[in-house]
This record gives sequence, C-alpha cells and structure tokens, in this order.
Amino acid sequence: MKRALFITLNEVKLYLQDKGDLAFGLLLPILTFALMYGAFGGQTLFKATASIVDEDKGAYSQQLIKSIDSVDGISVDVMSAKEADTKLDRSDLLMVLFIPAGFSDNLTAGGQAELVFKQRGNGGTEGQILASIIRGEAENINQEFQARHLVAANLAGTGISDAAIVPMVQDYLTQERQQPAVSVSQVTTGGKPDFVNQYLPGIVTMYVLFALSLSSTTIVEERRRGTLERLLTTRLSIGELFLGKFLSNIARGFVQTLILLILAYAVFQMFTPLSFLAAMVITLLFTAAAGAIGLIVAAISHTERAASWVGVVVTMFMTMMGGTFFTIAKGSVLDTLSKISLNTYANRAYRTIISSGGSLGQAWQPLLVLAGVVIVGLIISRMVFKPVAGK
Amino acid sequence: MAEAFVVVKEIHKSFKDFKAVNGVSFTINKGEIFGLLGPNGAGKTTTIRMMATVLPADSGDIIIGGHSVKNDAEAVRSIIGVCPQDLALYEDLSALDNMVFFGRMVGLSGEESRAQAKKNLELMGLEDRAKGKVSKFSGGMKRRINLAIALMGEPELLFLDEPTVGIDPQSRNHIFENIQNLEKKGLTVLYTTHYMEEADRLCSRVAIMDGGQIIALDTPRNLKSQLGSPDKVTLEDVFLKLTGRSLRD
Repeated sequence: MKRALFITLNEVKLYLQDKGDLAFGLLLPILTFALMYGAFGGQTLFKATASIVDEDKGAYSQQLIKSIDSVDGISVDVMSAKEADTKLDRSDLLMVLFIPAGFSDNLTAGGQAELVFKQRGNGGTEGQILASIIRGEAENINQEFQARHLVAANLAGTGISDAAIVPMVQDYLTQERQQPAVSVSQVTTGGKPDFVNQYLPGIVTMYVLFALSLSSTTIVEERRRGTLERLLTTRLSIGELFLGKFLSNIARGFVQTLILLILAYAVFQMFTPLSFLAAMVITLLFTAAAGAIGLIVAAISHTERAASWVGVVVTMFMTMMGGTFFTIAKGSVLDTLSKISLNTYANRAYRTIISSGGSLGQAWQPLLVLAGVVIVGLIISRMVFKPVAGK
Repeated sequence: MAEAFVVVKEIHKSFKDFKAVNGVSFTINKGEIFGLLGPNGAGKTTTIRMMATVLPADSGDIIIGGHSVKNDAEAVRSIIGVCPQDLALYEDLSALDNMVFFGRMVGLSGEESRAQAKKNLELMGLEDRAKGKVSKFSGGMKRRINLAIALMGEPELLFLDEPTVGIDPQSRNHIFENIQNLEKKGLTVLYTTHYMEEADRLCSRVAIMDGGQIIALDTPRNLKSQLGSPDKVTLEDVFLKLTGRSLRD
C-alpha cells in the first residue's frame, strides 16, 4: 500500500513538472467556467427575433407587428415571402409568421382574419415560445374587435354612432390591460442562473471524462519510458502499481473538477455548504469510476496513440450517450444505450443534488452503480494487463 | 567448487507458435560476471525477463539466491537489480528524485534511499548533478544514472543489459571500472552486450545463445582456443563462427 502511494506521489510530481500539462489542466476548468458565465451569467430573460412576412401591409398588420416588437426581449425582422421561404428551406429559420394579404380588410369588415406560421418540423423550442407570444398578441387584437362588435350590436338602434363607440371601447380595453382582472407577477426565488443548474451537471461529467482520456495513457507512458519493466523488477506488485496510478488519476480529475465546482459555488451561489459537500462526494466517486475505466484502456493499450484514441472514443461515447449535449427521450434506443454510460449515473446524481436540491441518500442508486464500476473496473484492468506489450 | 548463485533449469517460453526460449539451462556462480551473448532475436531478452520476474516461464524454473522465481518472485525481486538496455528514467525528474523513488520501490526507507542515492551518484561521478533534471543530461550521464538506479537496494545479482550502448569511451570506461569494483565486492552480474571485446574483458564465462538455445558456454579463453590461439582469435570470430554471418532481424 505504501508503495502505491509513492507511485501516486511520483505521478503528481511528474504532473507538476510538466508545465504545459499543468497549465492546461488547471486553466481549462477556469476557461470552461468563463464560457459558462458568458453564456449563462448575465440576463436570463428569453430573447428571440420574430421573423415576419407582412403580405397585408394594412393598419392591423402594422399594429400586430408593433405590438410583437414591444414585447420584452422580442425583436422583429420583417422580410419578403421569398426570403422567408429560402431561409426555411435552408433551415436558417425554423419558424416564420406570415400575415396574409387582406388581413386588415377582413378585420375591418368584421370578418375572420388568419395568421399562418410556416415552420420546419416543430419549429424548434425558440419558435414554439415565439409562436405562443405572437398568439397572445393576436388574441389581444381579437378581443378588441370582438368587444367592439358586441358593443356595436348591443347598441344598434339606439342612435349612438360607431364613431362614439370605438374610442370608448378602446378606452375600456386600455384600462383593462393596465389593471387586468387577473394579473400575473413574477417572484424570484434562489439564485438567478436556472440554466447553470440545468447544464452544470452535464459539463462537470463531461469534464471528468476528459480526465479519463488523459489518464488512459499512464501505463503506456511508463512502458514507453522503459520504467514499467524496471518497476516490475522491484518489490512493487502490479496491484500496487495499478492502485497508485488509479489514485493519481482520481487526484488529478478531482482537482480539476473541484476548481469548476468552487467557481460555480462562488459566482453563481448555486450550492449550500451541504450540497457542495455532496457534489464533492459525487465528483470523487465519479472520478474514481472514470479512473477505473481509464485504467482498463491503459492496461489494454500498447501505444500512447492507441490509448489516447480509445480514451477519446470512450469519452465521446459516454458524453453523447449520457445526456450531456441533448435530452434523451425515455424508452428510446438511446435511453437503453445511455445505461452503459457513466455520465448517465453521474448526471442523475448531480441533478438530484444541484437541480432538485436532494440529498446524497436520494441519489443512492446512481452512486451505487458508480461504486460498482470502480470495483469491476479495477479488477478487469488488473486481469487484462500484460507486463510486456503483446506478450 | 564455486557456489552457484543462479541456477537456470530447462526454461521454455513461447509466444503463440514462436519458441523464444527453448530449454535453456546454465548456472552463474556467486561473485561472477557472466556474459549472455547472442544475435538479435536469439532469446537473450526473454531469458533475462524471465529471470527478472517480468515474464513467467512456460516450464522450467530459475533459482536465484536460493529463491524460486516461479514460487517466490517477491524474494527474488528483493535481491536483484536491473539495468535495462533502454534508458528507464523519469526525464522530468532530477537524478536524485529518480534514485530515491526507485529506492522506495525496492523497499528502502526514505533515509536509506537518500543515503544510497548519494553514495551511488558519487560512485558514478554524478554527485554534482544530483539535482539536475535528467532530460538535461548527456547520453553518457543518463547511462550512468541508469546503472546507479540498478544498484539501489544493494542487490546481490545485477542484470546489465547492454549498459554501454551509444556512449563515449570515457563514460564506457567509467562503467567498466565500476562493474569491476562491484565484482570485487562480491556482486554477481549477468551481462549482455553486442560488443564482444567488452564481454572478453569483463566476463569470467560467457554463454552464446541462438534460436532460443545456448549453443556454447565457457570462458572467453576456452571459446577462443577452439578456433586457434586465444591471443590471436577474438571472441567476435567465435561468435560469428557459431551464429553465422547472415543478417538478423
């Protein structure tokens, strides 16, 4: 056991000697965090541009465009039908609002007017939100016309002219909008960065796996240097060698991820002291699991290049299948495949702590899987290791 | 009669269909410098790897200092030192750090490790460069560090696998002197080299291997006398006569 710790210390010493590797290892989490802060750290209000084709060019289409443009966070890009179709074809746009010719005339005549959303697929998440906002604005116009026609119909024969009815209805509607019967208000609770809560677990898990791809070369490096064979002629056992390497991989991955978590704690205030400790425990276990997988790669690889490539492929597979880049629909083929990715379990544990405010006890299932991977990974790596490559 | 410190008994090793070592047996006496010679692919490295406990033999056994490599590899490792042909060093660490680290690996305490490292660095004439990074050393200095590390733990049997490859005559001579001094102190050495004059100068007996077998084993003088006057025939003549002149992979 003592000799395993010397192996770990030697690895750490070598890591500290390689200034390039050290700078990369320590600066990368800070850089990742800076990118996260740039992406999520400022205003979190929904922002989008509504693409609109105005084939009507009448008073009411202009009124609608103006009202959409006045919504917070929404800007308007009016374009020709040809341009809109081209952009939809190329998927430059996923959704465009078409205001057909005759829209204003139909409304003025008391008839029905129609708005058309042209979209690629489901229009994308942003498109769906925009469509919902535009429907709300159209509904306002709709209500205004309905109120005006109902009042005019009720006052028919009383001698009161339309010219008197329209401004009065308009005044009432304006008052109603300023003091609605049902008002909606926003109350901010907790930290502001919801997106960080959602995405940080994925970024952290992806990060630990990058450490895996780096650590998968450790045994091959010893082989290349010739020190592996020399070590195997000392009193160091193969088990101690693997344990030493394993501990150094954990230390390295853990420190890098810790930097990310500490920055997230300090800047986004997204942890309580207890949840921060819980996140550290998950990180430690996940790094250990990733380290054990890295050790299998290291044990079976004959060259550094092979180890690096296998490490990268395993990392990418686990990241993709672990739901880091996109949400995986339950019951799908990807959902089944995701069960062999470490990220799935680490993400689940992190989300229990970070996004749901749960405890470690509630994350016992994914933690148990990670612990199992550590044990099995260490056993397999020891079994597949050959002192002399290929022999 | 000399006391046998190493007994290699009928060892075999195959890699798939290739028989790398095919029934090799020899003994090395205590305090002897024993040469193991042979062309590339003769089976020398595989034999040394089996003796140094890195590779298990398919059959047969090796006894070193009374310990069986097959049954008690741990005890064997505690009395051997290996100086591999390729430099086996951590180039980013200092000479001292390298030596102390390997000292810990052979079971020395921190204090013992530092004391032995200092002593061996002096032996190799590198005491002034103890804290220098190995990557900044010349080829000859690296070779000497490579040998100094093998001496950590004061082994009873030293494996020297081509310890003088690619170095200047001064470093080479320094290494020879050290090996001869170690012999005087009773250290047993297994020496492999492609330089026949080295084997002739240092080894009391040499074994010549080819095709996974030992094809000759005797003192350099006796081997040379098989071809003529030992003063006129070189060991290289004997080697080429026994192993042929065809090129090897």
